[in-house]
Amino acid sequence: MSDRTHKPSSMQQWQSLGQLAGTVEPQGEFQAGVTEPAQYSSGLSRRGFMALLSASMAVTAASCRRPLQKLVPAVKSNQTLTPGLPVDYTTVWTTGNVAYGAVVRCREGRPIKVRGNEQHPVNAGTASAAMQASLLSLYDPDRIRRPRVGKGQSSYDNAVQKIADAISEATSAGKRVVLAIDEHASPSFAALLNDFTVAVPSASVVMLPPVVCDNAVVANRAVLGVAAELVPDLTEADVIVSVEADFLGTDPLAVYHTVRFAKRRRPSADGTGMSKLVVAEAQYTLTGSNADERVRLHPSQFDAYLACIEQTLRAGSVGSDLVGAADAATRKAAEAASKSLAAAPGRAVVLVGRHLSPRAHAIALSINTSVGSMTSGILNPARSLPMSGPRAEGVTALESDMASGNVHAFIAINVNPEYSGSQSFKAALAKVPFRAALNLYEDETASISHVSIPAAHYLETWGDAMAIDGSLSLRQPMIAPLNEGVPGIEDTVIALARKVSPGAYGEGVESYYDYVRARWMPVIGGTEKDWANVLRKGLIEGQMPATTYNIAEATAPLAASSAPSGMVIVAVPDLGVGTGADANNGWLQEMPDPVTKITWDNVALMSAQTAVSMGLCASTDPKDVVRANEQVVTIATERGAMDVPVWIQVGMADNVIATQLGFGRTKGGSVCAGVGSNAFQIVSATHVSAYHAVRSSNVVSGKRHRIAATQDHHTLDDGNGERQIAHSITTGDLAAGKLKDHDLNAHYYSKEKDRDGRYAVPLSITPDYQYKGHRWGMVIDMSACTGCSSCVVACQSENNIPVVGKDQVLRGREMQWIRIDRYYTGDMTNPDTVVEPMLCQHCENAPCENVCPVAATTHSPEGLNEMTYNRCVGTRYCLNNCPYKVRRFNFLNYNNDQKSPLDLVFNPEVTKRDRGVMEKCTFCVQRINDAKYHAKDAGRARVLDGEVVTACQEACPAGAIIFGDMNDRESAVSKARRNERGFHVLAELNVRPSVTYLANVRNRPATVKSDGGHH
Amino acid sequence: MTAQHHEQVREPLVLGNPSLRDVTARIASIVESKISMKYLLTLGFTATMAGWGLFALYYTITTGIGVWGLNNPIGWGWDITNFVFWIGIGHAGTLISAILFLFRQKWRTAINRSAEAMTIFAVICALTMVLSHTGRPWLFYWLLPYPNQMQMWVNFRSPLAWDVFAVNTYFTVSALFWFVGLLPDLATLRNYVKSDLAKKIYGFFSFGWTGSTRSWHHYEIAYMILAGISTPLVLSVHSVVSFDFTVGILPGWHTTIFPPYFVAGAIFSGFAMVMTLLVICREILDLKQFITLKHLDNMNKIMLATGMMVGYAYILEFFIAWYSGSDWESWIFINRAFGDYAWAYWTMFTCNVVSPQVFWFASARRNIPLMFIISIFINIGMWFERFTIIATTLHHDFLPASWGYYSPTWVEISIFIGTFGIFLTLFLLFAKFVPVIAIAEVKSILPGAQPAHHHGHDHDHDSAHAAVPAVATEGGH
Repeated sequence: MSDRTHKPSSMQQWQSLGQLAGTVEPQGEFQAGVTEPAQYSSGLSRRGFMALLSASMAVTAASCRRPLQKLVPAVKSNQTLTPGLPVDYTTVWTTGNVAYGAVVRCREGRPIKVRGNEQHPVNAGTASAAMQASLLSLYDPDRIRRPRVGKGQSSYDNAVQKIADAISEATSAGKRVVLAIDEHASPSFAALLNDFTVAVPSASVVMLPPVVCDNAVVANRAVLGVAAELVPDLTEADVIVSVEADFLGTDPLAVYHTVRFAKRRRPSADGTGMSKLVVAEAQYTLTGSNADERVRLHPSQFDAYLACIEQTLRAGSVGSDLVGAADAATRKAAEAASKSLAAAPGRAVVLVGRHLSPRAHAIALSINTSVGSMTSGILNPARSLPMSGPRAEGVTALESDMASGNVHAFIAINVNPEYSGSQSFKAALAKVPFRAALNLYEDETASISHVSIPAAHYLETWGDAMAIDGSLSLRQPMIAPLNEGVPGIEDTVIALARKVSPGAYGEGVESYYDYVRARWMPVIGGTEKDWANVLRKGLIEGQMPATTYNIAEATAPLAASSAPSGMVIVAVPDLGVGTGADANNGWLQEMPDPVTKITWDNVALMSAQTAVSMGLCASTDPKDVVRANEQVVTIATERGAMDVPVWIQVGMADNVIATQLGFGRTKGGSVCAGVGSNAFQIVSATHVSAYHAVRSSNVVSGKRHRIAATQDHHTLDDGNGERQIAHSITTGDLAAGKLKDHDLNAHYYSKEKDRDGRYAVPLSITPDYQYKGHRWGMVIDMSACTGCSSCVVACQSENNIPVVGKDQVLRGREMQWIRIDRYYTGDMTNPDTVVEPMLCQHCENAPCENVCPVAATTHSPEGLNEMTYNRCVGTRYCLNNCPYKVRRFNFLNYNNDQKSPLDLVFNPEVTKRDRGVMEKCTFCVQRINDAKYHAKDAGRARVLDGEVVTACQEACPAGAIIFGDMNDRESAVSKARRNERGFHVLAELNVRPSVTYLANVRNRPATVKSDGGHH
Repeated sequence: MTAQHHEQVREPLVLGNPSLRDVTARIASIVESKISMKYLLTLGFTATMAGWGLFALYYTITTGIGVWGLNNPIGWGWDITNFVFWIGIGHAGTLISAILFLFRQKWRTAINRSAEAMTIFAVICALTMVLSHTGRPWLFYWLLPYPNQMQMWVNFRSPLAWDVFAVNTYFTVSALFWFVGLLPDLATLRNYVKSDLAKKIYGFFSFGWTGSTRSWHHYEIAYMILAGISTPLVLSVHSVVSFDFTVGILPGWHTTIFPPYFVAGAIFSGFAMVMTLLVICREILDLKQFITLKHLDNMNKIMLATGMMVGYAYILEFFIAWYSGSDWESWIFINRAFGDYAWAYWTMFTCNVVSPQVFWFASARRNIPLMFIISIFINIGMWFERFTIIATTLHHDFLPASWGYYSPTWVEISIFIGTFGIFLTLFLLFAKFVPVIAIAEVKSILPGAQPAHHHGHDHDHDSAHAAVPAVATEGGH
């Protein structure tokens, strides 16, 4: 009985149970309407009990929901449902019109992990933080559970009928019905909506994505005749010049790009083979922090910068009129960039942020043509974002139609214009007589809607999506909708169409599943076996349609930069919560921004000099600068104003403020409400991500907003440059053989070399461990790592790591087992960033082990530093004595009292920790044990290389993490450990970590600065 | 050598030349006198402090250590600071009762009883801190080696396990030592008090003390053995406490100077606390006759000496940090003096090193208000010493990315206040119901208390007859 009786659905079972038993009349807790279980006060007769017992068995058997559609496990998975063993299924995850192949691990029919599909060419088995965190949203207790009409709950049927009535009213009044949708990558959904508009002629579909910025599409349409956003393939790019194209960070395709970019960030021993990344930007983006050469430009110089490059590379340039606008610094930087570009014909590419002007995009196309990247395949007009296209026209038209009263019904499908729309759009929306929302949450738009119908999560519904290479994946549900009776959006669209026009979608289409199936069956071969094969693999390989294009000079002159000079502000999607749809996701809210390390907030990022000019601090001296942090400023553009706390970000151009979208939600969940402030208020509706002139910026005197950053601003000014903890070298150093006879840990090792040719470690006071079987170890390539933080969420999901909330993060109690340490080096106005993923090092000579008084943390025979939660009494001595500070203490009962169904998200393989207990990275010991179990099952004494994949390694798009058996000399991890760039962090302590880091490498001719570290 | 001449060389340890009966009457009357309103109010105040602290402790245990200000780099804060502080306070008692006893320092008799009591109360406070600071305090017994079905022993490599032994031994031995020393005096009280109930209670606790030579003989041997056992504890307990830090690998903790430096610091802080309380006691209970300026002078000298040792350690740490050539080591000490916690460091330095320097002057050593103030300074300084060692080391260690800052919450502050409440409450109860001065021992040092001796002869031989049974039992008659 237990808590299940709280659920209305189970109530029905109990009610019929009494009738089934025939002896117990519905009474007490079984009465209709009673949702709390009552205590049995009267005795139940033995007969009655037996009848009840047998009846409950019958009900249990009968109440199992029959599978409506057959799911097919993935290629590499258990193929049958065996209690206790996981089954993996393929599906597809989308963000906007970007699709990534996914594999979801289910236990007893319950999804517990979202990861990348190895078979899928776009993400090659890796996953972004948001993709993995989508699992948490599935179990979000804040999702809407029941349809709403007006103020009261309603049946689904009634709610759909209400919308249908509104559509009929609109049709008879000759007014528009608008289905506002987000960008998507689903051909079936597009067709479904198209069929809807056929069945309901008054309806039209408007793409209303949160970020509308058509510049790239406008330029491509004018120059190439392709109204789409092109997607480069950076695998072959030797030189990448990015003008604020944050392709490793905020770009929804960041995983795709990181997979390819990182392949070229591991130089060979002589320093060759590494790509060169030149970044010109005003913000300090994640991409910029990975740059080999980086120049700070004010946004008003972007076009001129590109024009200067173009002028150097080709005659008769399209941007020649803009060259004059370049200042000396821009010109110099452009010259250096063009030299790099010219040195790599056919293997160089210029990337331009989508918010730059159409003109800038046109110039970039011109440069790319002249350096040959349009013909070599780095850029290919056929490789574009599916279903991308101009959006602004539709949005503008919709707004004016709504304002003039031409729209009778507005149906928001997975969009939230009441949050992300401009002031004028919202005012126009308020004039629409009937509004409805189909969404996962009762968000801002749903709450102003007359009808709100909950939508099922993507892990609960069928569908499809097309990736950028044209490959198609089917979206396979993992679980029946948790909120019973809540169908997918597409099913609601079908139901709605049928209410309006009963014959819509024809016979045989009972659900969207049938619709999708009918659409693709002929394409894949037509048999059940073919269908199963597609589901098993997770995709139908795509052929990129051959597009013919001609590079034409734009017929109409394209608009040049609208970026004003002077103080400007830009709002970019947050690296965690994106544009706000994921804002109710605790994993993403608490994931530290890889650049700023901020959680749970958006801020106004600016350079120290900008802060001085705004009167926030007296000078750019670090001691003054930290005082500017957390001061609240009111920033106004011509669109609106927002109050936002200041955070100084090194490396930003002066007179530039950057803030993040996705915060300032007022409704739509208990996690997101009240976090940060809404940056959509200050941007133009049709150029959301562009630079806007700051009209005024006033310090709200005396007001401070505390920012929960996981890495302190201390790192700006404290410390000395001698800390040899995060080595950064250059390709020049490698070419000069600097590491041939020199070890990065040489200052610590003794003179003798061991059999690997490495220097031997000094002696220890205790006898060394003998590892007879496996010895687990990890290598992290800091040169490949971009800092994307995908591993952080991967670990959080795999290891049941709690979300602790802003207050606890402020107190320094974030629980993530892996963190991305960020160190700045060099000139603080334009520094380099070295990122160092930091997790338990599983020291052989672990300082935590000997200090635990109860032996709760011990060394395993396979080299793991194991934590026995049950034995831990919580003295915290191990935490103090850990030189890497990777241990995490449960200061409070973070994991308890999870609202149902959030408790279902836990991985049953990993113990949930209570308060008072220390925890830390286990090297995914549950996966190691699983692999050992399978090896034993297969009659093998040892686990083969590659059979154990840790969660962080699995997710890492850069492939920067290698895990395996160090006792196996031929394993990938052993080979990687022999890399000349290898070093141990804090090797001088003789703790002998099992994690080897490979030094970060910048593609630079010679050592610009000495070994990295921290200034 | 005449008695007069002797007077000029050495001050008497008891003023006013009281008779043996006077001594008994004077000290036992404290027990016998009516409980004053003032006493009750004071007791009420300290008990409220203790109660408030216990409430904060209850809140901590039921909710979690998260109600404190600790965080990820800083796993210890006020909890262990207070623990070391209280353990340190205890050391003066042990030093006075054991080492000064073995060295036949007769001036100890006036203060040893209260100092020993302080030891026990301080260790109780320390145990309160250390038991409640773990994440799961209900499992405290896992820190003890006992046979169990889990077949788990404590980790004998861990300094915290050593700590458990050290502190438990310390508490047990100190309590025994104190109680054994009390036996003759409890018997005296049993004989002195008028109420039947009190007679029964004192009688019970005096274990049937008869004052026979045989009793005295056993007593003397037991006392001597316990003094012998206690003596190494003076050095070992705080050395082991310092291992909690030195065995760690953190710069700022991992130093060989810690054991002697901690012992010196403990004695320093212990004497300061004894001084603080005795100055008050002496006034309120009117014990000027027994606790003379001479005693206070001696204690001030010890504080000056141990304060200098501590100061030497502070400076030597910096030298070694530089001399070691370790970047980590030198950075942490620079950070200690000039970093985020510089205010704590300089508070400590000023209180502990600068303020006792006034005791070079004899007049300052006998200036009661001044020594009271200095003793308070030293109490504060020594608390900050532990805080500095713990917080500055932990808040900035090796990887700057994991640095943090720590400040306590109201809960930690309340618990610290609560430990003072417990300490003072116990001390007040002690001062009222137990002889605050070792009656028997004081009698042994009265002028003319040595019957085996001819007056006017060399008093240096007195030590051979420190406590003479016939003299001490006289008080009850």
